[in-house]
Amino acid sequence: MLTGSKTTFKVRQMLPDIKERMLSQSGVNARSRDVFGLRCLPGECVLQRAVMVRKKLTAREGRGWLSGTLFCTHFRVAFVPQDSPKPDDNADPVLLGDHDVALASIDKVVVVGPNRTKLVTPNSSLKFTPEELVLYCRDMRVICFLFDRLTPDAQVIEITYTIAKTYQPLKPGSVLSFQNAALGSVEMKQFLSNRRRDTHMNWFESTSDWEQELERCGASGWRVSSVNDRFEMSTSLPRFIVVPQKVLDTELKKSFSHFNEGRIPRWCWRHPRGSDLLRMASFQNNIYHEKDDIRNLEMILFGCQSSLCVVVELGEELPSPADIQLAHSRLRALCLGDISTSVSVPDDKWLSTLESTHWLDYTRLCLRKASEVACLLRGGHLTVALQEAEDRDVSCVVSSLVQVMCDPHCRTQRGFQGLVQKEWVMAGHRFYSRINYHRDNDKEEAPVFLLFLDCVWQLWSQYPSRFQLTEDFLLAVHDSVHLPLFSSFLANCQRERCKRSQNHGQSYTPVNGWRDGPHPDSSSDPCDPPLPPVWDWALQYSKRRQDRFTQPVPPSPPLQPLLNGNLNTNPDAHKLTDTIPGSVFLFSRGTFSCPANLLPWRSTSSGIYKKSHRRAPSSEGVPGLERLLKAWALTDIPQGLTSNSGSQGPLDPFEPLLPVLMGPCMGLWKECYLRGALHAQAFSHPISANHPHPVERLAAEVQQLKDKLAQASAGPDVKPPIKTAERPLTDANLNQNTNNGTFLFPGSRPHGTCVSRVTAPPTSTNHQHASSRGRPPTTAAPSRSSHRDNSSKHTFLFGHSSSTEARPDQRYHPAPNNAKLPKSNGSVAS
Amino acid sequence: MEKSGSIDSLGSKRSSSRQPSVDSLSSTSTSRSDRSAQAKPPSAMSSDSMSTSAEFSPELRVKPKTAVKQVLRDSEKEEPQLLPNETVQDMAQDITYFCPFTGAVRGTVMVTNYRLFFKSTDREPAFVLDLPLGVVSRVEKIGGASSRGDVSYGLVCKDMRNLRFAHKQMEDTLRKSIFEVLIKFAFPVSNGLQIFAFDYGQVFPENGWKVYDAISEYKRQGIPNESWRITKINDHYELCDTYPSTLAVPVNIPDEELRRVAAFRAKGRIPVLSWIHPESQATVTRCSQPMVGVNGKRSKEDEKYLQAIMDANAQSHKLFIFDVRPCVNAAANKKNGGGYESEDAYQNAELVFLDIHNIHVMRESLRKLKDVVYPNIEDSHWLSNLESTHWLEHIKLILAGALRIADKVESGKTSVVVHCSDGWDRTAQLTSLAMLMLDSYYRTIRGFEVLLEKEWLSFGHRFQLRIGHGDKNHTDADRSPVFIQFVDCVWQLTRQFPAAFEFNEYFLVTILDHLYSCLFGTFLCNSEQQRLKEEIPKRTVSLWSYINSQLEDFTNPLYVNYSNHVLFPVVSLRHLELWVGYYIRWNPRMRPQEPVHQRYKELLAKRAELQKRVDELQREVTNRSASSSSERAGSPTRSITPVQTFV
Repeated sequence: MLTGSKTTFKVRQMLPDIKERMLSQSGVNARSRDVFGLRCLPGECVLQRAVMVRKKLTAREGRGWLSGTLFCTHFRVAFVPQDSPKPDDNADPVLLGDHDVALASIDKVVVVGPNRTKLVTPNSSLKFTPEELVLYCRDMRVICFLFDRLTPDAQVIEITYTIAKTYQPLKPGSVLSFQNAALGSVEMKQFLSNRRRDTHMNWFESTSDWEQELERCGASGWRVSSVNDRFEMSTSLPRFIVVPQKVLDTELKKSFSHFNEGRIPRWCWRHPRGSDLLRMASFQNNIYHEKDDIRNLEMILFGCQSSLCVVVELGEELPSPADIQLAHSRLRALCLGDISTSVSVPDDKWLSTLESTHWLDYTRLCLRKASEVACLLRGGHLTVALQEAEDRDVSCVVSSLVQVMCDPHCRTQRGFQGLVQKEWVMAGHRFYSRINYHRDNDKEEAPVFLLFLDCVWQLWSQYPSRFQLTEDFLLAVHDSVHLPLFSSFLANCQRERCKRSQNHGQSYTPVNGWRDGPHPDSSSDPCDPPLPPVWDWALQYSKRRQDRFTQPVPPSPPLQPLLNGNLNTNPDAHKLTDTIPGSVFLFSRGTFSCPANLLPWRSTSSGIYKKSHRRAPSSEGVPGLERLLKAWALTDIPQGLTSNSGSQGPLDPFEPLLPVLMGPCMGLWKECYLRGALHAQAFSHPISANHPHPVERLAAEVQQLKDKLAQASAGPDVKPPIKTAERPLTDANLNQNTNNGTFLFPGSRPHGTCVSRVTAPPTSTNHQHASSRGRPPTTAAPSRSSHRDNSSKHTFLFGHSSSTEARPDQRYHPAPNNAKLPKSNGSVAS
Repeated sequence: MEKSGSIDSLGSKRSSSRQPSVDSLSSTSTSRSDRSAQAKPPSAMSSDSMSTSAEFSPELRVKPKTAVKQVLRDSEKEEPQLLPNETVQDMAQDITYFCPFTGAVRGTVMVTNYRLFFKSTDREPAFVLDLPLGVVSRVEKIGGASSRGDVSYGLVCKDMRNLRFAHKQMEDTLRKSIFEVLIKFAFPVSNGLQIFAFDYGQVFPENGWKVYDAISEYKRQGIPNESWRITKINDHYELCDTYPSTLAVPVNIPDEELRRVAAFRAKGRIPVLSWIHPESQATVTRCSQPMVGVNGKRSKEDEKYLQAIMDANAQSHKLFIFDVRPCVNAAANKKNGGGYESEDAYQNAELVFLDIHNIHVMRESLRKLKDVVYPNIEDSHWLSNLESTHWLEHIKLILAGALRIADKVESGKTSVVVHCSDGWDRTAQLTSLAMLMLDSYYRTIRGFEVLLEKEWLSFGHRFQLRIGHGDKNHTDADRSPVFIQFVDCVWQLTRQFPAAFEFNEYFLVTILDHLYSCLFGTFLCNSEQQRLKEEIPKRTVSLWSYINSQLEDFTNPLYVNYSNHVLFPVVSLRHLELWVGYYIRWNPRMRPQEPVHQRYKELLAKRAELQKRVDELQREVTNRSASSSSERAGSPTRSITPVQTFV
């Protein structure tokens, strides 16, 4: 039945069958906790338990309610659905189950009683028995548990108290005890130290990692320098940096002093058309004594392009960390809409309130800046240097966004992880201070990284088929940021991370002036657990959920872009011509200029430059650069664009994904920010949850049949069935909220367009399989080889995309199976 | 002959304009609307593409029907494919079209009895605008404002755009401007002409007029049954001229009493059954307001009648009367003899007001929305501007109302009566949305057509008045976007339940395009009686003929027939969105780079292919297991369980 106002309803109905099932279960309650299937981490103990609790499922999980048992341990609030499979004791420990929430993620605990709601603090006492327990999380999840009348009142009250007492609104010192609760046991330490790193992503930790990236980008003329190996040149830069080959380390050393924090221009990425992307901090110590100094600075800045350098100033137009923090806290307040406070935004003011957070404005600004930079790079043969005062915040956002837009590799899961390593973790984004895990540094707190994730989501929602990673992956990264468990985020730069791991088990005295150490005081406690990197997803997510991080079908080849006035599809017409070698331009607020003091060593006050370079800065070349950006002006529809029919074909994969940035196109990431959305209670029909989409079922069925065929035909000597393909999990819930026209993707993964326009033959293994089966082996052989040829582009329909990298992981692999099948089929048939 | 003349005059441009052009997509009309506006029958379509592909270079001809093809199809339309019985009325050179997005374009204009066709002469490739005259709401002569004797005309359209043209002052003052000609054909009703739908003689393989048959729809719902009967009392529209001839009423109310009930209900629109729950027998009934008046008049028959509706549902001893209006408005209606049911008079009935505003408020809201989205959008204040139109708020109230009705029927197992003042605007919105939530049949393409035919067309939503087909009186206070609002609500549902609807967004846009185009007879007239009198089914083509002849264009590949599912959408503004794909589709910058529609089709093909594979493999397994189990006893093949196929 309905209660509540006209538009807000709550369902207080209980399905009879669930009730009965719960009753029948209640006899077993008292026994060991195995009955409820909670698998504890080593050293983890259950503090409190409540039976017959229902968890409210979000739209993403299928809505409705799931009944089971609620636990509270030192580390997490765990929920084990009834009928969940018995835990496998030999499996690796998983920190958090699908329905669990870490205590450190909890922001607020609210209970709902018969007629009231109450915020529960460690000291508060309850005068009523709660019916509902709502956990507001820092990652903007809202998790809601409903207690049944059959849940013993004592259990309800006790577990509420226990959670309230242990969740610890983060304060100095609590992080460490939380880490210890999760990772501190001897078994866990051992387990973590034996963990292998994912070797399929680039960690950017060693010289060879960087060299690999140089090679991948085809960036010749650059080298990896270990001049900062001991962090003597710059404390915040990584040990290895990429600089022009021409510049020797000894020369390089003199340049550090001219940049804030010693963050000299470093190479980030090369566009396939030959432009390089650099980033640097602001200039300082603008006194240049030697000609050689200047020569080196010029060389570092121009990199391999001697002709043209554009300095993109980021600080002025983009939001400051403080702006981002303010916008995000407003957004949080708006989206979480805590029910314990009566002040919530009325529905009819939702849009204007959302606008006034400015969060969407900031994502737009970042995306716009990144689009402009991407357009410049596309022009070819110039150096674009991003400059931010500290080079540790929005320059991370812009440099990585540019790469997501331009480089398909960065739109794969592993590529994206590498990108975050390169442009954030190694580049010295101050994760530790910005996330403010200890709640001791509110001034520095700013979710710059979350703004970046939102920008990536905007791109993803406009170009879903161009991404191999999915929204689930972005959500996983988003949520992990709030868990103080990962080495990736618990430091401000590589130096801190190194210190931490070096000093592990020893004590050290903080170096003078090193103020942003992870644990300013007693941090080097020998019992500090080793922290895993965030990319070790198996610690947090089950295999099933990890499978949803990527699309099972390879991204479709880019289509000819639609000329809708947002794209400049004819970059070749805008070749830069006649720029005098050595020109530098400043790009700011959408225009180019060449102020005299852009490069301080060239300015008039320093006479040395004048002596060697007798050329006044000129504004020639500005029109050429401006043309590169004309993509943003609709009036400039190139003439004669379509004269060649070839333009209809698939496009250069490095054409940037330029987002549409008009108001109606900037979406709110509802799947992230409105996950709780308690204000909008939806009804859910009893049977609506968890029906797989028929295409998914078909996919599973095809797989099943193939396995059986293989089994049946190969006989006993063949290894028993190949690991069955993980069913591509779709979010085929009837009622999943979707974003702007893109639900095809999450909703329809299994049947994307793997048979694409790129290659002629039916490329999915499925087809070959079908066609080769029953034919004599001679015909089967060539078709198999042709499959192998194509395998770099196409993979098995429901297997995993390996378009960008080989993934020798646990997923289904068609090749070995495939190679066997036609032959044996043939033998059976004959 | 006029036709051939037109082709000749345009023929000189052919060679240049034949180039496969992406550019013509950037005309203000989207490819989508072009396609729908054109509404070519499948046969004509194929021959058309054949003839054009013959003119293309060979390598283009072999290209598959992909997005590329789409582009070709759009650019090839630089001379219109005239529809059957479409005739050219006037042509003019040197017309300037002021495109709000790309600036002024010069070109030629052709006006037929169905459309306006503009083709640029100064852009390469050509810019094309193809507009059914039915969408024109008003033509304004913006005279003298521009210098050098130019005459300027503004076309205000019903589909969220305004067009502006200009041409040189006529030297021959006797000759009419082409836009004067246009006015004549844009408003045929006002000019004593016939709406084009009566001329359009296209034959489709499907006959859309047969989609809906009241008797068989009631039969599908299980009517007649022990509590409900079908009455022919309105066979000649004597009981109520705005109702259909076939009505379903409670069994124990004889026809004689129906007449007395009709006397108490506005316009004789008595409570009749719209939908019955297959299990609980709870019903959705609709009617108009009771004629209570200032004196609180009562009608024994009406009270008995509502009691009978309640009694027909054994599961509940309560009846909900949803008065869709705001309480104040309902009370104000008493002055005019109307009003609402008092709970004293109707025992066991609970009256609920749903606070949905009237047609005038909605019209104003959409007008504001148009100001906000066309032609320019202010990025920095987009959301607050959108909020100030209140359009989404109205959508929310309507959805919330429908949700309450559906919840009462489904969860509460209670019958409901829905009415507003006359019971043909808001009532139609609410009952049809509630039925869409409750009954998965209406979420199929055919089911949705039935729903529109039933709840909107047969029950007398006054399309002619609300849209003003062919009528120049654009200030008519009877015009209102009630139906658009309903389709918007449906779209919101499809966003929240992407797998629950058999049709796609293009289907909804197509319906709205032809709501105005006057190409089909479906949305003409105000009631079933009028349509019969005008012999609409005989003299015009149904929109469903066109749609059902090419279903693949309108099918949602994600559709899963979850029968028996009830949809309960989230009606918070946080989860509603502006229907950008309809309201802002004229802005070329809004068009997404990912061709979703194209993808739909590929997915459908993929699904069919998968199904085939399953069938094949299944056959093979059966064969194999039969043979191998005889060879090897105890082999795992024995244990193969039959695998069912789906879809």
